Amino acid sequence: MRKLVVSRLALAVPQLVIVAFVVFSMTYLVPGSPAAAILGASATPESIRQVEAQLGLDRPAFERLIDWAWNALNGDLGVSFVTTLPVTDMLLQRMPATLSLTVGGMVVALALGIGLGVLSAVRAGLPDRVIGAATSVGLSIPEFWFGMILLLVFAVELGWVPVVAYVPLTDDPLAWLRGMILPSIALGIGAAALIARQTRGAMVEALASPYVDTLTAAGVSRRRIVLRYALKNAMVPVLATTGLTFRILIGTSFVVEQIFAFPGAGRLLLTSVIGKDFPVVQGGVIVIAALVIALNLLIDVSYGLLNPKVRPQ
Amino acid sequence: MSDLLTEHVPAPSGSAGSRRVWRRLVRQPMTMASIAFLLLLVVVALIAPLIAPYDPLAEDFDAVLLGPTAEHLLGTDEMGRDTLSRLLYGTRVALLVAFGSVVVAMAIGVPLGLLLGYRGGWWDRLGSRAFDVADALPGMLVGFAVITILGRGLLNLIVAIGLIFCMSFARMTRAVTLAERGKLYVDAARVAGLRTPEILFLQVLPNLTGPLLVQGAVFLGSAIGVEAALSFLGLGLDSEVPTWGGMLGVAANEQAQQPFLPFPPGVAIVAAVLAFNLVSDGIGDALAGERRKPAGRPRRPRTGAAPVDGARAAALVKGAPGAAVDGGPTRPDAVLEVRGVTVDLVRPEGESVPLVQDVSLSIGRAEVVGLLGESGSGKSMLARSVLGLLPPATRLAAGSILLEGRELVGLSERQLREVRGCGIGVVFQDPMAALSPVHAIGSQLCEPLRAHLKLSRPAARERAAELLHRVGVEDPKRRLDDYPHQFSGGMAQRVAIAMALAAEPRLLIADEATSALDVTTQSQVIDLLLDLREEFGTAILMITHDLGVVAESCDRAAVMYAGQIVEIGEVKPLFSRPRHPYTAALLAANPSDDVEVERLPTIPGGVPLAGQWPSGCHFANRCTHSREGCTQHHVPLADDVRCLRANELILEVLKR
Repeated sequence: MRKLVVSRLALAVPQLVIVAFVVFSMTYLVPGSPAAAILGASATPESIRQVEAQLGLDRPAFERLIDWAWNALNGDLGVSFVTTLPVTDMLLQRMPATLSLTVGGMVVALALGIGLGVLSAVRAGLPDRVIGAATSVGLSIPEFWFGMILLLVFAVELGWVPVVAYVPLTDDPLAWLRGMILPSIALGIGAAALIARQTRGAMVEALASPYVDTLTAAGVSRRRIVLRYALKNAMVPVLATTGLTFRILIGTSFVVEQIFAFPGAGRLLLTSVIGKDFPVVQGGVIVIAALVIALNLLIDVSYGLLNPKVRPQ
Repeated sequence: MSDLLTEHVPAPSGSAGSRRVWRRLVRQPMTMASIAFLLLLVVVALIAPLIAPYDPLAEDFDAVLLGPTAEHLLGTDEMGRDTLSRLLYGTRVALLVAFGSVVVAMAIGVPLGLLLGYRGGWWDRLGSRAFDVADALPGMLVGFAVITILGRGLLNLIVAIGLIFCMSFARMTRAVTLAERGKLYVDAARVAGLRTPEILFLQVLPNLTGPLLVQGAVFLGSAIGVEAALSFLGLGLDSEVPTWGGMLGVAANEQAQQPFLPFPPGVAIVAAVLAFNLVSDGIGDALAGERRKPAGRPRRPRTGAAPVDGARAAALVKGAPGAAVDGGPTRPDAVLEVRGVTVDLVRPEGESVPLVQDVSLSIGRAEVVGLLGESGSGKSMLARSVLGLLPPATRLAAGSILLEGRELVGLSERQLREVRGCGIGVVFQDPMAALSPVHAIGSQLCEPLRAHLKLSRPAARERAAELLHRVGVEDPKRRLDDYPHQFSGGMAQRVAIAMALAAEPRLLIADEATSALDVTTQSQVIDLLLDLREEFGTAILMITHDLGVVAESCDRAAVMYAGQIVEIGEVKPLFSRPRHPYTAALLAANPSDDVEVERLPTIPGGVPLAGQWPSGCHFANRCTHSREGCTQHHVPLADDVRCLRANELILEVLKR
């Protein structure tokens, strides 16, 4: 097990380094000078030079890279142009909401997706066709639009849940949970459809495997074969793509959080993109990338728990 | 949705003729409807100015936030602009961005993928770092970063979305190119003197067309979703320009006043994306041809649905004695008595084709009976019918199956469960596939013990270890926690045997149980089975195509050909004096290592497929002794042989 963790870490670290390098290069990709882009129409040569100095753009690129990397390693991602607050603090403040939403969406996606996928695989005929059609639609719905509709129906019309949803977990766990329901469903719906499709395919394949015959021939009940044996086999390919799904959910959460007024990283990034607040966008990309890489690491390791073949002997 | 689906697009392999693919596509109503809808969208985008009832930018502050009315069919927004007109104009941006971004993504991704896949080596290793970056960044974040750098605008939006998607195209192209590179024809082209770029574009690209179409269609839909999201966030086009996402942005703000606002653009997005997804699915199915169907469509996973329903089964049993005439006398001490069993394959069109025809067979206590035949003879199907384990689309059409005098045909799934494992155990051909790869063998071995003997968890484990020890697995306690891949084929088969015998069944069916093993292991496993027979008094039905196995292990044997038993009898006389020409031919075709023959005699022709059996004797068309009468009438099994000329032929077996 430790070997698996080490070997995955050996892949993750260079991955993060490369991402960091790409992010660093961002400011050099801006057509013209980033300073001019920031200042917009009001730019004068004088003010451009001033901003460039502030950005450190007047120094050699290599020197800046070393500085920037060293600071980033120490948790210092620079200072926002707009608020002059440390980027690290601004981002960290937003992570609980983003993580809540992403994890909530993942929980919905896994529960709904695996449930429907299994049902679809073992109930051929009408249930399978209905779930199949629902899956196709689910894959085509923009999550943020689905969130708007959910909000309209369950919060505005029916009043079952509060319109303004987010309460920090540490303030009131119950209110947090209640506020999480609609956003999680909205975010998770597309991934649920995807996982349902994968699960169905994997279950159909698993149930046609010879070991199912062996177990059936040994007198094991159908229910036990489906839930204990076929399902675990079917989860191997499904879990293999969970890391990918997580990454996508994080990105989608940036949009969904707007609907539910979640104070997540999306809103911060959005204002920074519009305000050309480079340090915040750069920091955001780095932090999110690190998060994605860490989650993938975690998933890969738990994948080893599920699939004995990838465990080093 | 956004980039969800696009990340998981499988690369369909193989290329069928494009005309054949198109013909398959035309036969898919959903795909054709989706294509028609998308064409309609294109037309709408083109003629939006002609059909839009209002100028999409015309404000009318006397009619703000209306619901659907006669003048404004889909209502108006917060500035009094007509929703229908904006929706129609929005089609333009949606399609433009969709096609534009996919073109950008392909323009970057395909050449990159071709390069990496074709060059390999360091190029590939370096280039694959780009995939690492893509793996760490959510697509939406890439969009944010690109728009931060480039600013807003139609072209920048297209570039941003194209960049989000390009790595997926590169990855897919690389995979296809790698596969194609290895193929012979690329080498052949190189020898013919083509230069590298020519090889890439002329030879590999056509093979990419299918996968690119499938993936491209998904991305077109996905791009509409991403564009909507970015426009909704205000990162797309100017809010003046009518876009579906921008309309949703307005709707989110004004939802409290006019709840109808989100519906028109939302439904438009869902419909367009759905149409692209369905087209992608359709193309994928058409490319995969019929091969993908059985896996993709419901396979009636109810494995246990062996016999017919209750009422039908009862009728069958009543009719059974008549059908059993062929089977010779019934034996009072029989463990298994199969009478007149017919298994049908039910074709999708509803027509039934027999796979096994009127088979009768009995096995006595502790007797080892061989069931011999080439593949396709129906021997495994017969075994499955005994267990009530017939595969989907097959059914037991007639016959009776008695286990120690108890009729199994028509038993409920629950009753069958008691028979399986406890009355009859099975060992299948491939020991690796017969055990779940992700469960420790201990947990699987304990299943029959817990189900039938009602042992507690620790007691079952204890017994499982004893069983493993009995079948010759060393260090059984520790090995219970091992997984199938940690066993050799022979050892895994021993585990499977232990599992089949765990609940001490009266009958063991060994369905080609030794065929996948090498010769030495094969003998060991046969010896083990025979030992266990001595110890437990278990009868064994040994299904095999291997004459050697039968000779080594069986007391009696039945020879099957094209769904029928053609000869049955004690092994020694059967092998030394075969009475059916097929048995004789089988024996002649069997290589024997102590005889040097110049050419192996083989039986000309092959086993006819189910549904194509000749009338009369099934073997007649391959038989060197056949004459006119053989093909005219059904040939019954008489005196244990199914041959009209049994009494006049003296069949020679090559001296062995």
